[in-house]
Amino acid sequence: MTGTASGPEPPEPPGPPAPGSYELAEARGYGLTVSDLRRWHPFSAIEIHWARKHGLSAGVARRWAREGVGMRDAVRAVRFRMTPEQVRPWAAAGFLPADAVEAAEAGMTLAEATAWLRVGFILPDAALLVRDGWTLAGATTARYAGVDRYV
Amino acid sequence: MLSSQRNELLCETGPGTSMGELLRRYWQPIAGVSEFEQRDTKEVRIMGEDLVLYRDREGNYGLVDRHCPHRRADLAYGFTEERGLRCNYHGWLWDHSGACLHQPFEETRHPEGTFKDKVRIKAYPVAAKAGLLWAYLGPRPAPLLPDWDRYYSRGYKQIAISEIPCNWFQCQENSIDPVHFEWLHSNWSMVLRGQDGPRAPTHTRLGFDEFDYGFVYRRVRADTTEDDELWTTGRVCLWPNCLYVGHFEWRVPIDDTSTLSVGWFIDELPGDAPFEQDRIPTWHAPVRDEKTGRWIDTHVMNQDYIAWVGQGAIADRTLEHLGESDRGVIMLRKRMFDEIDAVAAGRDPLGTIRDPAVNDRVYLPIVGGLNRPARGDGPQPFVFLAGQPDEVRTGHEQAWQQCAAASAVG
Repeated sequence: MTGTASGPEPPEPPGPPAPGSYELAEARGYGLTVSDLRRWHPFSAIEIHWARKHGLSAGVARRWAREGVGMRDAVRAVRFRMTPEQVRPWAAAGFLPADAVEAAEAGMTLAEATAWLRVGFILPDAALLVRDGWTLAGATTARYAGVDRYV
Repeated sequence: MLSSQRNELLCETGPGTSMGELLRRYWQPIAGVSEFEQRDTKEVRIMGEDLVLYRDREGNYGLVDRHCPHRRADLAYGFTEERGLRCNYHGWLWDHSGACLHQPFEETRHPEGTFKDKVRIKAYPVAAKAGLLWAYLGPRPAPLLPDWDRYYSRGYKQIAISEIPCNWFQCQENSIDPVHFEWLHSNWSMVLRGQDGPRAPTHTRLGFDEFDYGFVYRRVRADTTEDDELWTTGRVCLWPNCLYVGHFEWRVPIDDTSTLSVGWFIDELPGDAPFEQDRIPTWHAPVRDEKTGRWIDTHVMNQDYIAWVGQGAIADRTLEHLGESDRGVIMLRKRMFDEIDAVAAGRDPLGTIRDPAVNDRVYLPIVGGLNRPARGDGPQPFVFLAGQPDEVRTGHEQAWQQCAAASAVG
């Protein structure tokens, strides 16, 4: 966990809409209060629960959300000591911002991920294959071994 | 795409396999309580183990080896007594803990003998909850049997069980595959009804969250926004082998090429007068059309079954080509590998509950809320599986009428 991941909760911002009965029931299900919902607006109850369980503050979560990274991946990103700015090159290259987190876990660079994507492997698939010991050449041959017969 | 070795890791659940070790850390639903109103034994095969489930006259449920340790006779044909199950071959009596209580001829010849204290039968704990019988096949102490909040919702409940001739994991992958709804259930259903468009709204965005008991998948379609509950709340891929969308669908491995689909359903009832259901009926849903020999395609889960069995007895993941719609499936596989490693390292895997204070009406996310109003002006047809027996449909109708009348009086 980085130093920016935890810390004091920010003050309750003014203005978020009052939660409906359904939202309140959902919040109660996760052990949250109306105050929690307001303080964490606009995150959903499941996101707030997951963030708090892993020590992520609302402020840090918002920084990741601004980059398009959801709570599950923000928690993982903080665990891998990433910064929100690190996802920008990935988004610019056409990946989902959260793919940067997947790549970090698998130890893949943007260039490597791009090479895998070029032959048809979306990043989470490529990351799992890398983790399982596949090389790009081997995986490409295996992927198209059956298909090539029909080309 | 996976290597064949990684595919086997996900699919093989017999004793001693890695996935078998993981799944044995969870209680698995294996039958309905109401199945034991007319019988006292039932043969079951779970994760490659042949067993007999029984209810003795004291009301104890037992799950023991299918074969008597004496001469290997079939205990599915045994008979229950006040306590335990007696083999019909030579009368050895076994209780739910696996202890041998009686060996008639041995004890006649050796009244002071201790032979029965030296033999045991394989036995697993069984518990009843929500009209289901649950078995735990893992190491002791067993975790708590989850007490999901949905079990306590007001409504007419029923259990439907099917045997699907394919591996469990391709069934569970379906639990985190939002896009298939658009094609398998919406567009294909229209084709089956002879309708030629327009097609169902397309998916435009997918999202996945994690919580203490699994994953939530979220979707935005062309006809919805991020304010829709399908995005704000989502639906639950309940760990490790269940789908929860207001009803539950467990996918329990029978063995590596067949799966027990156990569905627990609830239909909301009108009004708010108290409603108590004295028994939850269990029925067995057919998967093939007897006239044509083809898979039944008229109901939601039957359509799922067609997709699953179509992938082969064990889906060959060395031949697949995954794309953007499969992000949830990849996430599920990765997490399965992680949890296999956790068990191998001696840790409790995801979602096991051991604290009784936690295990009290445990919350699960649900679109529409836990106590939703009844839909329509009368009981809705059962859309999930073909073959609902008349007695179950009638029971639902009677419950509806009872609640509607109470509501009118109130």
